[in-house]
Amino acid sequence: MLRFIIRRLLITIPTIFVVITLTWGLIRLAPGNFYTAERSIPKAIRENIKEKYGLNKPWYVQYGKAMWPIVRHLDFGNSLKYQGQPVSNIIARSLPVSATIGLLAYLLALILGITFGSIAALKQNSAWDYASMAVAMLGISIPNFVVGPLLVMVFSLSLYWLPPARWGGFWSKSLILPVLTLSGLYMAYIARLTRAGMLEVLRSDYIRTARSKGLRERDVVIRHALRAGLMPVVSFTGPALAFLLTGTVVVERIFALPGLGNYFIQASLNRDEPLIIGIVAFIAITLLLMNLLVDIAYAYLDPRIRY
Amino acid sequence: MKEEPPDFISRQEPRDLIHVPPEFAVAEGAVRVLDEDEYVAGSSLWKDARRRLLKNKLAVFGLIVVVLITFISLLGPPIIKAATGFTYDSIPRDVTLIKSIPPFRSADGSFSWAHPMGTDNSGRDLLARVLLGGRISLMVGIISTLVSLIIGVGYGAVAGYLGGRVDNWMMRLVDVLYSLPYIILVIVLLAVFRSSTAVGQLVLLFIALGSVSWLTMARIVRGQVLSLKNQEFVVAARATGVSTTRIIFRHVVPNTLGPVIVYATLTIPQVMLSEAFLSFLGFGVQPPLASWGSLAAEGIQNIAIFPWQLIFPGVTMALTLFSLNFLGDGLRDALDPQMRT
Amino acid sequence: MFGLTIKQLSAVLFLGTLVLGTISCAASASNEEFFGRTEPPADNVLRYISGDEPESLDPQLSSTQPDARIFLALYEGLVEYDKKTLDPVPAIAERWDENADSSEFVFHLRKTARWSNGDPITARDFVYSFRRGISPELTSRSASLAYYIRYAESYNQGAVFVRDPQTQQFLLEKDFTTASNTIIPLSQTPLTANVVEYKPTAEEPTPDRDTPFHQLMHSPTRLTLPGNEQARAAFLAKNPKLQTAVAGREFVKVKGEDIGVEAIDDYTLRLSLTQSTPFFSGLLANQFFRLVPQKAVEQYKKDWTNPAHIVTCGPFKMKSWRPYNELALVRDPMYWDAANVHLDGIRFFPLADQPTMMNLYRVGEVDAVANHSIISAWVDSVRFKKDYMAAPEAAVIYIVMNVTKPPMNDLRVRKAFDMAIDKETALKWRKIVKPLKGVTPYGIFPDYPEPKSNSFDPVKARQLLADAGFPVIQNSNGSYSCPKFPVDQVEYLFPSASSNKITAEFWQAQWKQNLGITVPLRSMEFRTFADFRSKLEYKGFAFGGWVGDYMDPFTFLSIFYTPENDNNTGWWDQRYVNLLDEANRITDKQKRYAMLAQAEQIMVDAQPIIPIETGTVNWTKKPYVKGMYPNASSLFPWKYVYIERDRSKWDYGTPSLAE
Repeated sequence: MLRFIIRRLLITIPTIFVVITLTWGLIRLAPGNFYTAERSIPKAIRENIKEKYGLNKPWYVQYGKAMWPIVRHLDFGNSLKYQGQPVSNIIARSLPVSATIGLLAYLLALILGITFGSIAALKQNSAWDYASMAVAMLGISIPNFVVGPLLVMVFSLSLYWLPPARWGGFWSKSLILPVLTLSGLYMAYIARLTRAGMLEVLRSDYIRTARSKGLRERDVVIRHALRAGLMPVVSFTGPALAFLLTGTVVVERIFALPGLGNYFIQASLNRDEPLIIGIVAFIAITLLLMNLLVDIAYAYLDPRIRY
Repeated sequence: MKEEPPDFISRQEPRDLIHVPPEFAVAEGAVRVLDEDEYVAGSSLWKDARRRLLKNKLAVFGLIVVVLITFISLLGPPIIKAATGFTYDSIPRDVTLIKSIPPFRSADGSFSWAHPMGTDNSGRDLLARVLLGGRISLMVGIISTLVSLIIGVGYGAVAGYLGGRVDNWMMRLVDVLYSLPYIILVIVLLAVFRSSTAVGQLVLLFIALGSVSWLTMARIVRGQVLSLKNQEFVVAARATGVSTTRIIFRHVVPNTLGPVIVYATLTIPQVMLSEAFLSFLGFGVQPPLASWGSLAAEGIQNIAIFPWQLIFPGVTMALTLFSLNFLGDGLRDALDPQMRT
Repeated sequence: MFGLTIKQLSAVLFLGTLVLGTISCAASASNEEFFGRTEPPADNVLRYISGDEPESLDPQLSSTQPDARIFLALYEGLVEYDKKTLDPVPAIAERWDENADSSEFVFHLRKTARWSNGDPITARDFVYSFRRGISPELTSRSASLAYYIRYAESYNQGAVFVRDPQTQQFLLEKDFTTASNTIIPLSQTPLTANVVEYKPTAEEPTPDRDTPFHQLMHSPTRLTLPGNEQARAAFLAKNPKLQTAVAGREFVKVKGEDIGVEAIDDYTLRLSLTQSTPFFSGLLANQFFRLVPQKAVEQYKKDWTNPAHIVTCGPFKMKSWRPYNELALVRDPMYWDAANVHLDGIRFFPLADQPTMMNLYRVGEVDAVANHSIISAWVDSVRFKKDYMAAPEAAVIYIVMNVTKPPMNDLRVRKAFDMAIDKETALKWRKIVKPLKGVTPYGIFPDYPEPKSNSFDPVKARQLLADAGFPVIQNSNGSYSCPKFPVDQVEYLFPSASSNKITAEFWQAQWKQNLGITVPLRSMEFRTFADFRSKLEYKGFAFGGWVGDYMDPFTFLSIFYTPENDNNTGWWDQRYVNLLDEANRITDKQKRYAMLAQAEQIMVDAQPIIPIETGTVNWTKKPYVKGMYPNASSLFPWKYVYIERDRSKWDYGTPSLAE
């Protein structure tokens, strides 16, 4: 097991490096520059900028200059667009925003999704099944960027209950609408996973045994069926959380939240090389670590898996 | 009493499930592997599947809606043009008509059959645009899914069958591609391969969308192939000296079709949503063409004032996605032999 | 069971649609006087959406308009914008003198001006700020605004003087120049005893002290060469006379100390310019010329704008900064005019999405929004409200054409495409915008003569196309087609934003209707677009727009001034440049405008652009926000702004810009 973890971690490092390198190359290929603006800048000033950021050097020198601080001290440098702001500060500042929204949304999605999924499984092929799956499916069928403004329309512009946008802090009313908007998609997935998992388990021998032993239906469902039936949800949680922690792009844009996803899109559109590379590296690391964690968890949960 | 974990988890490569980003994730059952005896069942498997699918009412409902919307999108625009003269890009010459008119109204507010869905900000018939949007969105969905199918199945099958070091490297590449910044990838794609014709720009959009969605497909196929390759019929083929290429594409791949079809059905709505997201960011189809996504993205800006601009494309799109998802779920249930009751 | 479910399903869908429909209809149909709620905030703090996230809080580094609004609160310069006309009014400088040809300025600073940390502000602070802003190391993108200052351009380019090592004499430009009719501005003519540079005034009866630096400025211009050795070698190779003259001389880098900025004493600043620049005092209100704190900058380097270190000099100072969320400022008691600052503070919300802005405004979470916040589709629902701000803007929109590639290199083709657009109809449709004839905005400079441009004439347009070899044929159903026109060689390129899309579709329809040519549309992500356009990689047409830097027609005309394609069309004409130069030497405003207009006519006749429209400011403010005027650049000197709680004194309509 330990060998497996070490091997995976060792593979992670070059993977991230390749990701960063390709990202660097992509940014070079994309037309336009971080200093491109509506009005063209006089040539002399352009030359000064190129000189300052080493853009007039051969590509391998530029590459080396970009990579060395990362390899050496994990230093991603300063943002080019937001001059003087270190990339690490931007990530440290925006991650909690994305994480708060993401975790709350996932929690809500878990509660609703498991409820809908269990109801659907227990009453398979009934109106209950269809209705709860239909509600869940709405989460996948309506894009986030439609749901968000609809909620704003109702709860902010018509009822004046909640603010329509902006970040008001970690415990404020301004969280409600983004969390609701974001949870829809995840709720739908969780409901479907729960339903599939539960159906599988409910047909298995040990549930039949439990029932035949005369256990109460409620105990059978909650103590046995649900626990096993939720395994797929557990495996879904790993990657879902990684994505939720690191970027909830659409929701952050709609509600003008200072989160990581918002910065990522802006950085991409601004060709803000250090910031893009920093965020890409962060997302890649989070993803790979989450995957590793889930693999380890699997090994413990299911003794049949060997590495 | 000892509780057994559900057995299907052990049968698949855990890693393969785990990398799936939620936008592209499949419902768990799709990645199941068929038992040996079910392959023996041969054609009856498909017959059973069809029977089971037709029994699933929501799936049938989905199928009907999808077929219906496809037909209306294809046949509608010429009919509208013949009947009223409106096309998706006809901006009225009369300046007083260049505005958003509510459904069943004329410019002065009286009742009129001219625009059953109203008009957009430039006074264009919304019905004609929603139908055009349907054509584009369905085309984007289907073609990009085909792209992802072709690349994903080929890649996944080769990786899974060859296994070992090759597999390891090929899957690392998939990991890398997953982590690349998608927006920049799209910017580069659209800038490096430029095209000024509408068709060329559409093709680029297909490539941009397909270039990402094949990754999940590759993972799923690989997982399937991993568990298939040591089964007797493959071993037998290998023993009789059949070439590797032939084994992969004639023996192994056909046996992964079930999950692949299911996943493809579920990919279509996901690709359509991705296209909508790109439209939301301004990378979608080029005007005056429109997709449901771009219409909805535009409508959402005006929801407070011209709600019909969102409601019609939005509801049509949601209904289609809804139906496609139910169809996909139905297919999964139908192709999943464990569900046979 | 199944039937029921489907029925329920469709009922849910139907009901949902209905509810949504009613809510949104109810929301839009309300015939309120104002757009949204109008309760003044409890505290005396203005909440304002400034636009995009600030690039930096360093006024010399960021050149954008949203950031300029923030800098107006945090920093001050020699002059400040007038709240209505945007003309320069005294700020840290109480008054200033201008020499006879506007090539030298002397500013008299007020002695009460202080930094937010209490330190007095002196002329040396300006010397430091200007030198820093122009220095090549800072790479300020606005540095070219200061190129009017003597040797500033050379310093910014890292150029060198040429000096004789024996005599310590510098080579002079006049000995090598090829231009014959160079006119030397008064700021560079040698001072003689009887010259009176400035008319004596009541406050300043005696002329300002002469200094060695002043003498130096009044001597002939030194020759400058490129600082980069390769560039210099290439330059000299083309100029054999120079090459021999330079041999054996040493090259001296142009330094910050060489530029024409001089502190005569603590409270007197003299600026020497390279040429007559009648609009220069107006330019000085730009953020680039605002003061930066020398001590903080030198101590904290790039971190000096960090809230913990920042030192400012404007009516407000930093309270807290949460990027992408909120920049909170409070009144600065150290400010020289603190007694006349009305607000206790300002909260800037950086936000660029228009519907989001308007939603926040509507529910009363903000008191005013940035310009252009109302998307075109909403205009009809908002423009009759009493909190809508309608006024012409110093901003123009036009279509650029790539004159370097066929078929657009043919003037007849360019004219045809211009004449085929029905601009009258377009203006009626766009409702709030104003016409545009050339490149100077309509209604901003009242005495400026408008150029003569083409009127809508589809018949003549088709004739011109035919003359150019692309005959337009009328089809049996009345529509036109132009089969010979190479449609694959043109496209209309524009940055992806819905406002650009809707106009693009309109032009496309116009050309299709009147010429039978369907120009393909191509929307692009902004930086890709800007790159394609500036490198002239686009075919045919592209979106163009310009926002004025200062209140003078020259800020618009200068787009076509440089041969380095700042105008993105590939067009350049020496005659145009000569006329502009000549005009800028005229001090009489009327005559100067006439000559500028003459130059503009040359450009309009050559038709590198299709003029489209002059912008409008297009924003809203709550009626209780007073002292905020819809001026042409949407730049507000914040100290005049206040919150009025007495309803009878509210603004019911756009406040007048006239006195």
